Amino acid sequence: MNKVLRQPLFLGLAMTFTVGTLYGCKDFLTDAAKPQGTLDAGTLANKAGVEGTLIAAYRQLDHTNGVGGAWASAASNWIWGSVTSDDAYKGSEATDQPAIDPIEQYQWSAPGVEGELNDKWRAMYEGVVRANAALNLLKAVTSSKPGEFDAPNAKSIEGEALFLRAHYHFEAWRMWGNIPYYRETDTDFRKANLTKAEAGAEILKDLDAAIALLPAKARSVGRASSWTAKAYKGRVQVYTGQFAAALVTLKDVRANGPYGLESSFDQVWTGFQDLENGKETILAYQASVNDGQANGDNSNWGARLTFPHSGSPFGCCGFHQPSQNLVNFFATDAATGLPASLTNANWNANSANFVAGSTTPVDPRLDYTVGRDGVPFKDWGPHAPDWIRAPSYGGTYSGKKNMHEKSSGAQSTVGWVNTQLNSVNVHIFRYADLLLLLAEAEVEAGSLENARTIVNEIRARAGVKAQGPGKDRATIGVPLNDPSITWATYKIGPYATPFADQTAARTAVRNERRLELAMEGQRFFDLRRWGIADQVLNAYLSGVGGGAEKTRRLQLAGAAAFSARHSLFPLPAIQIELSKSGTSPGLKQNPGW
Amino acid sequence: MTMTVRTGMAKPTNGYDKFLITNSLDYFQVVKQSYLNAGLPVPTNIYGDPNNPTVPDYTFAATGTRTGVDAYGRPVGVDVNKYSYPNSLIMPGSSGTNWWNAVFGKAAKVADYNLSITGAGEENAYGVSFNYFDQDGTAAYNNFKRANIRVNSSFTRSKLQFGENVALSGERHFGGLPDDQGGETGLIGKNILMQPVVPVYDIQGNFASGKAVGLGNNTNPLKNAYEGRNNIAGNNRVFGNVFAGLAVIPSVALRSSLGFSVNQGSFAGYNAITPENSEPSFSNSINESSNSNTDWTWSNTLKYVRQMSQHNLNVLLGQEAVHGQFRGINASLSNLLSNDLNARFIQDALGDAKSKVVNSFGSESALLSFFGKADYNFADKYVASATVRRDGSSRLGSNNRYGTFPAFGVGWRISKEKFLENNHLLSDAMIRAGYGVTGNQSIPSGRTVDQYGGNNGDTYYDINGTNTSVQAGYRQTSLGNQNLRWEENKSTNVGADLAFFDGALNVILDVYSRATNNLLFDPATPGTQGVAAAPIVNIGNMKNRGFDFSVGHQGANWNATLTGSKYKNEIVSIDGVQDFFYGPVSTRIGNALINQVGSPIGSFFGLQANGYFRDAADVAAHAKQDGAAPGRIKFVDSNGDGKITAADRVIIGNPHPDFTGGLDLGYRRGNWDLNGALFGSFGNDIFDAQKDFYVFRDFSTNVRNDRLANSWTPQNLNAKYPKLDQNDTYSKAISSYYVEDGSYVRMRNLQLGYNVPASMARWMTATRVYVQGENLFTWTRYTGLDPSLPTANAGGAAGDVRDQARGIDRGVYPSNKTFSIGLSASF
Repeated sequence: MNKVLRQPLFLGLAMTFTVGTLYGCKDFLTDAAKPQGTLDAGTLANKAGVEGTLIAAYRQLDHTNGVGGAWASAASNWIWGSVTSDDAYKGSEATDQPAIDPIEQYQWSAPGVEGELNDKWRAMYEGVVRANAALNLLKAVTSSKPGEFDAPNAKSIEGEALFLRAHYHFEAWRMWGNIPYYRETDTDFRKANLTKAEAGAEILKDLDAAIALLPAKARSVGRASSWTAKAYKGRVQVYTGQFAAALVTLKDVRANGPYGLESSFDQVWTGFQDLENGKETILAYQASVNDGQANGDNSNWGARLTFPHSGSPFGCCGFHQPSQNLVNFFATDAATGLPASLTNANWNANSANFVAGSTTPVDPRLDYTVGRDGVPFKDWGPHAPDWIRAPSYGGTYSGKKNMHEKSSGAQSTVGWVNTQLNSVNVHIFRYADLLLLLAEAEVEAGSLENARTIVNEIRARAGVKAQGPGKDRATIGVPLNDPSITWATYKIGPYATPFADQTAARTAVRNERRLELAMEGQRFFDLRRWGIADQVLNAYLSGVGGGAEKTRRLQLAGAAAFSARHSLFPLPAIQIELSKSGTSPGLKQNPGW
Repeated sequence: MTMTVRTGMAKPTNGYDKFLITNSLDYFQVVKQSYLNAGLPVPTNIYGDPNNPTVPDYTFAATGTRTGVDAYGRPVGVDVNKYSYPNSLIMPGSSGTNWWNAVFGKAAKVADYNLSITGAGEENAYGVSFNYFDQDGTAAYNNFKRANIRVNSSFTRSKLQFGENVALSGERHFGGLPDDQGGETGLIGKNILMQPVVPVYDIQGNFASGKAVGLGNNTNPLKNAYEGRNNIAGNNRVFGNVFAGLAVIPSVALRSSLGFSVNQGSFAGYNAITPENSEPSFSNSINESSNSNTDWTWSNTLKYVRQMSQHNLNVLLGQEAVHGQFRGINASLSNLLSNDLNARFIQDALGDAKSKVVNSFGSESALLSFFGKADYNFADKYVASATVRRDGSSRLGSNNRYGTFPAFGVGWRISKEKFLENNHLLSDAMIRAGYGVTGNQSIPSGRTVDQYGGNNGDTYYDINGTNTSVQAGYRQTSLGNQNLRWEENKSTNVGADLAFFDGALNVILDVYSRATNNLLFDPATPGTQGVAAAPIVNIGNMKNRGFDFSVGHQGANWNATLTGSKYKNEIVSIDGVQDFFYGPVSTRIGNALINQVGSPIGSFFGLQANGYFRDAADVAAHAKQDGAAPGRIKFVDSNGDGKITAADRVIIGNPHPDFTGGLDLGYRRGNWDLNGALFGSFGNDIFDAQKDFYVFRDFSTNVRNDRLANSWTPQNLNAKYPKLDQNDTYSKAISSYYVEDGSYVRMRNLQLGYNVPASMARWMTATRVYVQGENLFTWTRYTGLDPSLPTANAGGAAGDVRDQARGIDRGVYPSNKTFSIGLSASF
């Protein structure tokens, strides 16, 4: 062998073996094991990491591209809270987003619906997961690096995360009722659902904790303050039927909180940056455009399909069209300015396109809520027939609230159909909504005059301005008697005399709620919690006030009757399957599904 | 030196124009019936009077361009001067656009040139080869070019041998329509299903599309191709190895080899504005990417050869290290100031600087292996081999990085035994048996740990209400699994190689059983755990059993070989929390793939369709099914709970064939030869997801040309299609209605060749010219485009999981039918 070893080349090869082997043993694999282009938990274990994790929890208020399935996870709830109600049709055309058709028609176990339900479910629990991540990271950083936060910031972060957790659970709760509740300490993600009552109590528990932690003034406009949480608590109390407690909470917010109504209705939904986040905003998704996101993903993404179609300046896609029933509901009594539905048994008889020029007196909110032919559309010129995708399917009206004003500059310059992307914030909870919840609590408490005061306050604000000619920013809103108004007769008046009884008061408050919050994704949830969804929606389809939607929008003839099982949405079947340990699912399906 | 040259023309084996409607008024009859059956007024905006429909003069004329409209509001006169692009478009009506033909109408050229030079001397050997391949896509404006150079040489100096193999290749794919694997945004997925009344061009020669109500939301597929004609996907690669070997003593040889591969990919693409679309976009953009893979493999082996009388022993010991590094960058920019090709670069001044996005990404991985192999053979009669490998992977959990993989094989050449010596009936016979374990770790790197990140559009937020700026946000992006271990494939195999009649008949038989343990996959996590990518886990065990055979005859003038294989795949157990997990490919109607215990991997899963509802009484008698109505599809209440829900889904199809076989035939006469190859696949199911469009008319697409004639009516209860019903969004649920038998037999190749006699071309030897046809005939009952679906490129988080995504037709380029002529010659 000596002879062999003398050969220098062999020596070289032998060495490479040895070196190769040594090199290989440990570090060679370990060094290549790390993921590239990602962060590890340690990098985020500091102030910036905690704040950023909280930012991500806020971001989930509207659709994010992390979840996919934009429309069902929209902050505006246009599918779940509006299309399902008597306010709006799915709109557009039958074969676009066909999964929403059976949602509109109460056929919720039809194919496709599950996917939409799943999008909403996943988005809401992603919000919960992000809020819990912020809580866990905050806990870890405050214990490992005690000086990292000052106490007020640490408390606010915790409070904001708890608030957001409550919000996301609430959104799931008003969809499904019987939901599982996830806290930052949970590790079993296949838990059983709570009952609706139990889950409601958990939401309130988190809100109470948040109120105790949050500062009275939010750290920045998009964040929650203790008043945000308090206002939200009042909302949840009303939703859970605890009217007496709600009365206390909401009165406190009204008397001592920072909120108020915007001076005129056109300033509530707006793309003008100086008008956004005014005193009426309690919680809104802060939309932004031209912010470096190349597709406009941070805009009003979840509601982008709800813009008027091809012939309009927005291009696409014509979903979420106001119903004829809703439009008719805005008619007012020529003498009193009160809703015509109170006095006219045939208030819903008109089935024709309610075009400009009619002398029928209407609530001025109609033309800030509904785009109709011949009426100026904010400052974009008159709404025209070619703005509608398929009138025989979705009717002749367009939604209007979430569209930006031309002169606001709120439009994205980038993205697919960039004309429907804007920075108009999406109101999730606004002060008029709160006032009307307070009015409900007053009615239930028997203090009808207090309720009347609130309703009249809302109506007075609604009467300040009406849609003007919209030649520029200044003429989007003009006084009701402005001579430039040729397309409508606006009339709105207060309830001048005390309500006859609790029932009349309840009707007045509920009517006002519909008029004020129309197309804002609240109506369906209101109808369900009032326990009148079956009565109202079946009448909406089959006939009320002299008109029936089944004969106006013929596709609705295929709608199922709204029945007991519709009081809760079905849980997405896939989530029940994914909650299985072995063969037994943690989640239980809602009754009737 | 050898040279081969081939050139030819290709067209798709099938086209949608063979079975979709191509006449506008025929299409209208489908629309009309759909509305009438649904009790809805028939739209008149395109075809006018439903009882006397006409092709419109214009499908669209922007407000302000119309000079007259008819009773149905259809533009009948336009002022051409008012036309302006992109805001005031005017599009004519078409009596019937053949969209398939518009894109695939022209035969595509293909040319393939090869030249190779080899030589060897006492101490040196070399080879050089060149290849150039140039193929037009069968779709318009597409082209693919590839050039290769390969050089190898080896030198022997005494006991030392060294050398190299080096190859350089360059690829350029021009055009916006790469051969996609299907999917809605692809050309064949949906865009080419545009209605026939939509014209290809508008009145000024710009591309038209279905802008008017009811014409769907597709993008003009020819425009897609045209605007993408300058898109370039490029790939440059250098790969090969250098090696050195030393014959230390005659029986011991050392060898060290360093292999390398440097692969650089790039893409530059353009997205045009689409003002002509129903869902228009007025913002154009470019996107560009560049990435590189740098891999090296270093292997060292020691080989020992020993021969003692009839004993032959061969031992190999070795070690190998593999390292891979990937790095890429991509960028995009919108709203270009100039559309000029030379201005399509990503720079602030060339577009909307605020829309500029740049991202880079990468990955790293390593493998370290030690192995030994011993082959023993006694008198060519008894053979045995044993291998053992120990492989370590950086992708796996630090405690489970290494796996040990043994393999054994034995063989007995019976024909060498005395009793079979000189037996002409069974002239050669070898019986083999083997057992082996191999490992799989092809998952992405870095999945052993939790990953965090975020991006603008997902986690960033305008918390300060500025409307135009966002604050950074973070979230967990994936869940790690520290316990990741090797997926193991254990296979047992028994086979025989038999030759009869002195080799006139050859038979090869193999029976095998393969068990896959610790299958790597990333089953979905519950929604309550958030959207972070699910952890990859070693989830289950799978079994494949099957046999392969080959029977061949080699005669004087003709030869024939029949091959066949059959396998059965079954998931034996799943170790996750659930006893199933879904497959990796979803469609607009949902995910139709499931992996569950007792069924083959990637089975189709959905409702069981059971004909159509006959009448109202049938609806009432059936389990409660949302949207049930006469003429709509009736689903089976599998769990018997009285209602049709997602819980009624069952296995509705198996994409794995019962049997695949091939038949190669050859015939020679004089200087002529004729060769053919047939291939058949039998008993595999296809889930034709395209039915969502061409049967159910989702998104107002074009439909099959017998959709009207073969629809359900009270007189035609067992129709091929459900009732045309504009309101029926229910029948299209994922069900067995989408599943068809995907069996087919195809003539893959038919070639007629002529061997030029040496006397005719003396300076060339072995010259052959041929004409060849590929995929000339296909026999199938599958009603979609092409039963020979390529498996969807399902590179999920768990790496290549295409086994779970077989047989889903989401609109895939059909195979090409190619005619070519070729020449091969040696000098």
